[in-house]
Amino acid sequence: MLKIEPGGEGVVVIAGRLDAAQCPAAQAFLEHVKGAVTLDCRGLEYVSSAGLGVLLKTQKRLTASGGKLRLVGVSHHLQDIFRYSGFDQIFEIEPAG
Amino acid sequence: MTADRLFRRSFDSLDEIFAFTADFFALHRIDPELLPTVDLTLEELFTNMVKYSPAGEPNIRIEMAAAEGGVEVTLTDYDVERFDVTQAPDANIDLPIEERRPGGLGLHLIRRLVDTLQYEYSNESRRSRITFRKTRS
Repeated sequence: MLKIEPGGEGVVVIAGRLDAAQCPAAQAFLEHVKGAVTLDCRGLEYVSSAGLGVLLKTQKRLTASGGKLRLVGVSHHLQDIFRYSGFDQIFEIEPAG
Repeated sequence: MTADRLFRRSFDSLDEIFAFTADFFALHRIDPELLPTVDLTLEELFTNMVKYSPAGEPNIRIEMAAAEGGVEVTLTDYDVERFDVTQAPDANIDLPIEERRPGGLGLHLIRRLVDTLQYEYSNESRRSRITFRKTRS
């Protein structure tokens, strides 16, 4: 399951599994965020290519209007996924501590 | 040390697939750090079958086998066209964000994450079989 919710000023908390079945819910939430947004990924266990598509779509929309999506608390596994996808070139990524 | 099950050709089967892999890992004490990669690879291959072979048989078979240091997984799809996942081109990940488009990353990713990826197709039975292995190596 996926949980996505506001986490304070400019922060969105995402947790669980961002798989193809959960993408519509994530997309519905993220299409309303604006400006510079930090996505707290500490509880995010899993992202598939469908989930990467949701993040890319959000980043494209935000950067087109001067904002951006920043990913923090990213696990080692997800860092590999982002690197293999080239997302480390289009997102600011902060690893989990 | 093996298990197999049929899953309905639908995105809604993903939760059942993930429960199947989690149970298999727990039962056979397979390194849980391998599970996200196995789930990701299964999701990418399974959802491709759902998207691109809607006229195939209603169910897709997934078989799991414990292997030295990990697991081997086979997906079998019946009454479908040939599509060799090992030959699909890589995504261009160096494009600037303006030129990046969602999609096309699934096979690109899994080829980098698994140890081996094999494809077999039977013209006679129109059957596709994809086998991948993931170990701690």
